[in-house]
Amino acid sequence: MDFERTFDIGTDLVSDLDFARVRQWKDQHPGGAVIGYFPVYAPAEIIHAAGMLPVALSGGGDRLDIQHADARFGSFICSIIKTTLEMGLREHLTVFDGVLFSSICDSARNLCFVMKRNFPALYTDFLHLPHNPSSAASIDFLASEYRRLIQELERMGGRPVTAEALNESILLYNRNRQLTRDLYRFRCQNPHLLRAWESYVLVRAGNVIPVEEHNQLLQDALAQLPSRSGRPRDSIRIVAEGAFCEQPPLDLIKLVEDVGCYVVDDDFAIGRSWFVEDVPTEDDPIHALAESYVNRAVYSSVRHDFRAPRWEGLATKVKQARADAVLFLIAKFCEPAYFDYVLFKKKLDEIGVPHLLLEFEEKQFTFDRVRTEVETFVESLVFD
Amino acid sequence: MRIAAGVDVGSTQTKAVVMAENGGREILARALVDTGANVRKAAENAFLAACHSAGIATPEVGFVVGTGYGRYNISFGNTQMTEISCHARGAHFVYPSTRTVIDMGGQDSKAISVGGDGQVMDFVMNDKCAAGTGRFLANAADVMGIGLDEIGPLSLRASRPVRITTVCTVFVESDILSYLAQGKKAEDILGGVHLAIAKRTLSLARRVPIEPQITMTGGVARNSGMVRALEEVLGTTMQISPDAHFMGAIGAAVFALEKMDQSFESSTWRPEHAAGSGH
Repeated sequence: MDFERTFDIGTDLVSDLDFARVRQWKDQHPGGAVIGYFPVYAPAEIIHAAGMLPVALSGGGDRLDIQHADARFGSFICSIIKTTLEMGLREHLTVFDGVLFSSICDSARNLCFVMKRNFPALYTDFLHLPHNPSSAASIDFLASEYRRLIQELERMGGRPVTAEALNESILLYNRNRQLTRDLYRFRCQNPHLLRAWESYVLVRAGNVIPVEEHNQLLQDALAQLPSRSGRPRDSIRIVAEGAFCEQPPLDLIKLVEDVGCYVVDDDFAIGRSWFVEDVPTEDDPIHALAESYVNRAVYSSVRHDFRAPRWEGLATKVKQARADAVLFLIAKFCEPAYFDYVLFKKKLDEIGVPHLLLEFEEKQFTFDRVRTEVETFVESLVFD
Repeated sequence: MRIAAGVDVGSTQTKAVVMAENGGREILARALVDTGANVRKAAENAFLAACHSAGIATPEVGFVVGTGYGRYNISFGNTQMTEISCHARGAHFVYPSTRTVIDMGGQDSKAISVGGDGQVMDFVMNDKCAAGTGRFLANAADVMGIGLDEIGPLSLRASRPVRITTVCTVFVESDILSYLAQGKKAEDILGGVHLAIAKRTLSLARRVPIEPQITMTGGVARNSGMVRALEEVLGTTMQISPDAHFMGAIGAAVFALEKMDQSFESSTWRPEHAAGSGH
């Protein structure tokens, strides 16, 4: 099989709003439950260890027209909140037995309870993440939240989450994150052989399939990529930042690369690999997961850690990726991203890294204005 | 003598400028045509008209840079640059002291921070909204039943400009109709309309550093009422060239001269006659 075929598998998975593969899994696992989780920091390992299928929710994209959700949310709410609810109201989520949210922003928090009210039969839970990783109580607090979640999953009919099962799940997800890191490393070194939108599709495909299958998909892609041919283009290297939750339209990512950029690092679908190092396997894996959230989680605008400020994280990312510039891709009405934009901008100005802000929505079909903005940005760097 | 051209295919009008370099750089000719539905044809017609006016044959033009929203539809161009880069370079060519460009065109407006060599330092474009664009003013003129060329001068006569509650191109109509029903004078209504748009444009421009000298470009620069309203809210005067409308094409022509010597995979094809003219 060649890379194009592997990529097509990913494309089919990403573009399916009806979760056909998830339904297929359920048919193959009678009594098995499917738990959806909203970005960013969800403990998929725990759901997996309970014998359930964790499925990452990432909005309705540009294929779902809003018919109901606008009546329930104000016009100032971002797309992913509305399309997630819309998917529920339009019965796209009937295959799900539960949905899990966590404290990332006000809109996501409220979505949890709007879902609870609208779908009483659905198990809807809200995971309280510690907001102060510097506090000695953070790890114990999160471990107790994870234990509470495990109790809920077991009550729903999940198998008992033993230390052994959880460690096995952790190893599988460690592998998944390692493969994702390998894919990103390959792209950073060979951006002419693997486009950003291609690696995004491959990573995001993991949202709806068991981690074991996704590991295979990534492994296949990594094996096939070196034999791909492509000529290096005259492009500037950029880091895309800001889409940690709502995802930019695929056509927008394509456009950015078409007009003269190599996106050499990004935070697309970052919830798929939010531990930056392997989670250790130990006698108390719940503690290991909680400790890893506090000490090994990737920075983002919805995780506050003054031990390692996120603007420093971005500066490091730019340096490691040998990027010329940063492109902020921020979802319309995303408060956390816009608040952080100021901090990120200040840091980039300080270290002399050019940057451009582009706002996106899930449903965007014409990109002329964005094209002009990105082209001008590239021209200002290339013809300086 | 080296000859190059810039063609700016705007949403409303297409501009072409032919420029020569012979020691210094000099604009040989300019041409202006309505863009209409056939963008490709408009670009060819403007280019041919400019060449004709310059008294040169089209193959003499060594390099053509296309710009504006229709830049990718120019069949005879060698490369494309965005209108933002071109307006900055054009404004710098005409007024080297330019540090800020306020460009108000038919469908969009932009503020550009310009470096000492005419390079783009920062820029901002209007959002998906026609406020601050020629289209807004055209709509206001329609509602008032006054010609587009007349609204600017008329607004200058305003003694008590009205307050406009919205800069939405669609809803401003109800504001205008309401003031007309109240018997307000046309000049006072237009004075208010121009001031509202000037304030809106200033808030956009504040996202880039507004540093003197400020040069206004784009078709709306020909509206004297808009110029005065903008200068009033900016608290300073702006440089406005009689060529303000051609600034994108001028910038494109400057880029074309600069790029002539670079190793581009250049097309040497040039139209000899207007597309679809039957020749």
